[in-house]
Amino acid sequence: MNSLPLEGHSILFVGGKGGVGKSTTAASLAVHLADSGEQILLVSTDPAHSLGDLFGTSVGDRKREIIPGLHALEIDPGQEVERYLARVKSAMRHYVQPAMYSEIERQIELTRHSPGSEEAALMDRVTSLMEEGATSHDRIIFDTAPTGHTLRLLALPEIMAAWTTGLLRSRDRSASLGKAVDRLRGREKASGDELAWFDDVKEEATDERTQKIQEVLLERQRRFSRARRLLLDPDTTAFILVLIPEKLPILESEKTLKVLKQHKVPVAGMVVNRTLPNNQALGEFLESRRSQESEYLQQIEKAFPKLPRVQIPLLSRDVQGIDALREVAQYLLIDR
Amino acid sequence: MDWRERITRAGELLHEFYRGRHRGALARERRQEDDLFMLLVFSEMMGIENPSSYYTLELLPLLYEGFHEWHIRMGMDHSPLEHFRCC
Repeated sequence: MNSLPLEGHSILFVGGKGGVGKSTTAASLAVHLADSGEQILLVSTDPAHSLGDLFGTSVGDRKREIIPGLHALEIDPGQEVERYLARVKSAMRHYVQPAMYSEIERQIELTRHSPGSEEAALMDRVTSLMEEGATSHDRIIFDTAPTGHTLRLLALPEIMAAWTTGLLRSRDRSASLGKAVDRLRGREKASGDELAWFDDVKEEATDERTQKIQEVLLERQRRFSRARRLLLDPDTTAFILVLIPEKLPILESEKTLKVLKQHKVPVAGMVVNRTLPNNQALGEFLESRRSQESEYLQQIEKAFPKLPRVQIPLLSRDVQGIDALREVAQYLLIDR
Repeated sequence: MDWRERITRAGELLHEFYRGRHRGALARERRQEDDLFMLLVFSEMMGIENPSSYYTLELLPLLYEGFHEWHIRMGMDHSPLEHFRCC
């Protein structure tokens, strides 16, 4: 149980509490796999991006080659929101009379700043990258935001799929009631329409609109359920949990694992980061830390008995640049 | 019109009457369904938490024309949404 089983997994999520070394783990995994000849796309979903700092080069919202075989990008949810709002605006010009533009534009402006927007945009981008990455790269590795954020991101497709299903059902009921009304009306037309005053309900949407609403909702639902299918497929997706041997990260990892299980997200293993090197004399101070650490390591063993696990020792210098990431990668034993 | 025609005509009218009521009931039910749909889509603006408001924004251009009739029917003379002016 001292290697990570990642055979054939094309979507990897690297997650954990803030500051435990998620980005370092994700980046060295990416460098290592690219060095072994795979085409890797490394994506940061953390609003506080650090891939650029790790690689010592700027990484933006667009794919960039870092080393041969490794592309990286840092999602900027703000830009994603802008792209989406621009799409809605252009759709507006097809369906809305010019007199109404300004009201809809106001609504669009409000959405730009509403609290859920960036999260929703982030999920949009992650789902399209998951699909796109599957064709353009061998693997896509997500360097995720601290746990809570990521768990919500992973749960969102499920919530959203349920929501759109509800909306679609409502549209279906409306459409079939509409058909029934039309049938009755059809017969009456034939026999003269004396009692048309019973029709106190006007047609509210043209057929084209009704159909378009249906299409928009269906496309949404398709995307959510595709994302969900990919996310929950244990042959495709693997979540890698990073932690350090300290009390709070251990407790948080236990909670995370529970939630991941609850949502049926497949977890491949964990990386215990920054363990004290065990082949060196450390002096009294660090020896006392080491004895505490070994308690925590036992606790980890007990709390996650079934989970494959690798350890990365604390290094003499912090990890920066490709060579340092390669050095870290030798501790990440991977079955590919 | 002799009595035969009159009876036939009366029968037809009766028939129309009931069919018309039936049709009216179905049409009303459909309208209720559509009103509910509007409420689901616009709920966030009314302060009901809605996880999908970002995603349903793209429906707005398609629904906006029905918005006025909807809020009048809902018994609100003006747009209920502070920041969504209608009339």
